[in-house]
Amino acid sequence: MRSTLTILAALAVPATPALAAEGGNPNLLDPHYGLMFWTMVIFAALFLLLRKFAFGPILDAVNAREQAIADAMAAAERDRAESARILAEQKASIEAARTEAQRYIAEGRATAESMRTEMLEATRVQQGELLDRARKEIESEKVKAIDELRREAVDIALAGAGRLIGQKLDAAADRKLVEEYLATLGSK
Amino acid sequence: MKIGPFASLLAAVLLAAAPLRAQEHAEAPASAAAAETAQAEKVDIITPHITDGNHMEVPWILPPFFKEITLPHFEPVHIGPVTLDLSPTKHVVFLFIGAILLFTLLTVSARRHARATRSGQAPKGGPNVAEAMILYIRNEVILPNVGHHGEKFVPYLLTVFFFILTLNLLGLVPFGSTATGNISVTATLAFLTFVTVEVAGIRANGWGYLNTLFYWNNDLPVVMRPLMFLIMSPVEMIGKLTKPFALAIRLFANMTAGHIVVLAFVGLFFGFAGTVLTFSSLVALAPITMAVLIMVLEIFVAFLQAFIFTLLSSVFIGQIREAHH
Repeated sequence: MRSTLTILAALAVPATPALAAEGGNPNLLDPHYGLMFWTMVIFAALFLLLRKFAFGPILDAVNAREQAIADAMAAAERDRAESARILAEQKASIEAARTEAQRYIAEGRATAESMRTEMLEATRVQQGELLDRARKEIESEKVKAIDELRREAVDIALAGAGRLIGQKLDAAADRKLVEEYLATLGSK
Repeated sequence: MKIGPFASLLAAVLLAAAPLRAQEHAEAPASAAAAETAQAEKVDIITPHITDGNHMEVPWILPPFFKEITLPHFEPVHIGPVTLDLSPTKHVVFLFIGAILLFTLLTVSARRHARATRSGQAPKGGPNVAEAMILYIRNEVILPNVGHHGEKFVPYLLTVFFFILTLNLLGLVPFGSTATGNISVTATLAFLTFVTVEVAGIRANGWGYLNTLFYWNNDLPVVMRPLMFLIMSPVEMIGKLTKPFALAIRLFANMTAGHIVVLAFVGLFFGFAGTVLTFSSLVALAPITMAVLIMVLEIFVAFLQAFIFTLLSSVFIGQIREAHH
């Protein structure tokens, strides 16, 4: 400090004439040791007090806030990634559900189609069976009716012929004869 | 509304000048009584304003609305060969006022700031201003220049900035006096920065600190080393001293010069205005306008010089801590 002051004073000497006041006015560059002492004391006290009561708390608060903001931003980033992940998951599951639904619908349609076809087929087969049976019955009824008719016709013819010739015709031999005749008619 | 701050500044200048004018008037009858010499008419309003002294002017409720008080005088303390006159002077008083004002403002701000932060809100008003300034100085001025692990220098440099700023601004208010316009104050502040710089250098470099004092370059030829050592070592040492010296002179000269200019314009105003109001008194509007404009500039300079002192202190600390690289 002494050396600084000495240099200050040495440099001040040539610089003074302009500022040096005449008639006992104080020189602007005169060091005043008491003032220097007070400056140092006041500055030191102010430094210690401000560090403890002003800068410390404010910087602490600022740091805390910066930390809180950084934390909040990190949390927000995390949440965003999380929500993006969940959203992707949701989309994927919705997509899966839609695909499944499509599959079910397609399956249902296919099942319905095959069932319809099957039922139609079954109906047709049943119908055919019914028709066949009806046809066979009709056929057998017809044969039966024709036989009946023939027998009736033979009986009538024999009765007619017996009456005509006045005698009773031998049933078995005559019958055979008429039947042979009728067979020729039937074969026509 | 737009003229508001301008008008208040004008009022401030006039108020600040009021005691000076009163002084002139008070002195006028005395000088008339003494002699009709022109010598007696000369009143130096500038030197008393910018120099220190044990007289102070304080506002007073009775006309002429100021009162000159004499500060108490203590017996000088003798410490070895040094005689220390610890009597309070005008600038000591303003150092105290500045320190108390600054401490009150910043402590209250810090308290409200902490309360706001605790309740999860952003600070408003004063705490916000304090925080903005502190953060700006810390993040833009101190930390980039001081370098890595610069946090432990932050309180000192912030104190330097706010203390110088407060003292600068106190010189601009009515009845104020600029303690930073006193070479003893600026030299002490510069000396503290000098000590801080050197201590930072010793702590950062250890024995390597000696390299910043003595010049020994192993890249030179062997013969040249002692020669350059003898030539360059004083240069290195003087270089250490010129930095705080420049800090002290810069702040002192800037503060003093601005006040001299303002006072010169205020003096011109009274010179032109005269005691009788005539048409030509309107010329006096020119110097008072200039005084107001210089006053506005002074507000800027008050911030600028506090900023520069802090910036250069940070740079010096950063330089010496990087010296071994």
